[in-house]
Amino acid sequence: VYQVFESVAKKYDVMNDSMTLGIHRVWKDIFVHKMNPSPGTLLLDVAGGTGDIAFRFINYVRSARERQLQRKLKNHQNLSWQEISKSYQEDQFKSLGDSQVVVCDINKEMLKVGKQKAEHLGYCEGLSWVLGNAEELPFDDDKFDVYTIAFGIRNVTRIDLALEEAYRVLKPGGRFLCLEFSRVSNPLLSRLYDLYSFQVIPVLGEVIAGDWKSYQYLVESIRRFPPQEEFKAMIEDAGFFKVDYQNLNSGIVAIHSGFKL
Amino acid sequence: LRCQLCPPQRALQASAMVRTISGEQKEPFASSSRQQFDSHPADGQPQQEPQGPRPSYTGQGGQESEDYESEEQLQHRILTAALEFVPEHGWTAEAIAEGAKTLGLSAAAAGMFHSDGSELVLHFVSQCNTKLSELLEQEQNRVQLGEAEKKPTEQFLRDAVEARLRMLIPYIDKWPQAVSILLLPRNIPSSLTLLTSMIDDIWHYAGDQSTDFNWYTRRAVLTGIYNTTELVMMQDSSPDFQDTWRFLKNRVADAMDMGNTAHQVRATGEAVVQGLMGAAVTVSNAETSWASR
Repeated sequence: VYQVFESVAKKYDVMNDSMTLGIHRVWKDIFVHKMNPSPGTLLLDVAGGTGDIAFRFINYVRSARERQLQRKLKNHQNLSWQEISKSYQEDQFKSLGDSQVVVCDINKEMLKVGKQKAEHLGYCEGLSWVLGNAEELPFDDDKFDVYTIAFGIRNVTRIDLALEEAYRVLKPGGRFLCLEFSRVSNPLLSRLYDLYSFQVIPVLGEVIAGDWKSYQYLVESIRRFPPQEEFKAMIEDAGFFKVDYQNLNSGIVAIHSGFKL
Repeated sequence: LRCQLCPPQRALQASAMVRTISGEQKEPFASSSRQQFDSHPADGQPQQEPQGPRPSYTGQGGQESEDYESEEQLQHRILTAALEFVPEHGWTAEAIAEGAKTLGLSAAAAGMFHSDGSELVLHFVSQCNTKLSELLEQEQNRVQLGEAEKKPTEQFLRDAVEARLRMLIPYIDKWPQAVSILLLPRNIPSSLTLLTSMIDDIWHYAGDQSTDFNWYTRRAVLTGIYNTTELVMMQDSSPDFQDTWRFLKNRVADAMDMGNTAHQVRATGEAVVQGLMGAAVTVSNAETSWASR
């Protein structure tokens, strides 16, 4: 797994766009919308290499925070101007409202690309980059509000260990969210999808990234991943409650969600 | 520490847990409003017997007490805790997140509910209806024991509606938002069920035994009175909502009158018919006697 992503790191984003025809952006947007994070949330994004989820989270929390501040102002309209300016000063330095993202990845190259992207796009506060293995996270128990893993869990050798680690590091009430390729239920779509995956994607991989094998591996790992209901059962086995999934594009991608209660 | 449960064991405990919980639910209609919460298998410690644990809090610590209750109970607790944040945040997911935080859970637990706060409003309405039923039950007991006089229907209805509407007072600023949420197409089945069963309750305790068409007219009339009074209350700024209670009194009086008027109309109709019959008989008698002359 490590070598696959070492070679893939630099071209990761470009390949994502070409393989999914840009729809992966929409999937990730829907994913963060479903999370609906409030300001002050501590997020752990595992296998989040190039930071897509992390950046979206920060944007979301920033606008949520702005709305929150505006609402507070509206409620305070009968305060004196001195009190209002005092409250400005308190809130000014918290444009994110204490929210934080920790991006964890097994691969240094992916993290490097992610850090560069962050600088390039201007994300400076609220981000941390940590090297770590999803099966054995370098964090304490009961730390995070939300644990996300987007298109990463199918690459984990022992999925059950990763789920248990997710359970461990989440606070009580915390949420597990997983965005991953899954089983397509519609038979017609399934045939088209298979055709596209096995014929087109490795070719794109060769043309754009110069790497046929890695993308062959990618497509095969998607097929090997358990279908929605089975994955849901695995999540429940790890101890999560209210486990549910939502199919996007009739099963090409699914969002699984569970709570540690 | 949580132990891993194997699926067959979990299924057994799930059915046991659901049995215990459903036995504790007072109002049957409250569970119908929970139709969006599917009955997920509840969890418990593996050492428990399959009888189903009672929600006791003498467990190994504050944290463990969550094991003894089902997901639904926890959701109810979160929603109840969230109610105190409604005046500040409105009927929203933020209020639910704040409620979860007071219970020691992460704010992400609010993700269990819909992001528009529907469940919070429905939970509150259901809670109010339960409280109303309890109040009416207690009153009925007092009357049966002879400690209180049985109220005339008009006053009974007035007091019941006023008691129910007074429960809205702490949230009255954000109540228009709640009404709009209740009217969302997705929520209409649930909110309608809650409304009709509340009206049903009131008439039941008012002593309504009718099984004919009157049942429908009475329900419709009282629903109309309740809804209009609620609307008046939302824009009432008089001290202690006096204007609202006066409006309520007038509407209930109107409804009573309407009943009387209908009765009177019928009585008058009957009288008119009898008069005509009498006149017809007199005329025919007169004709007979004239013919025999």
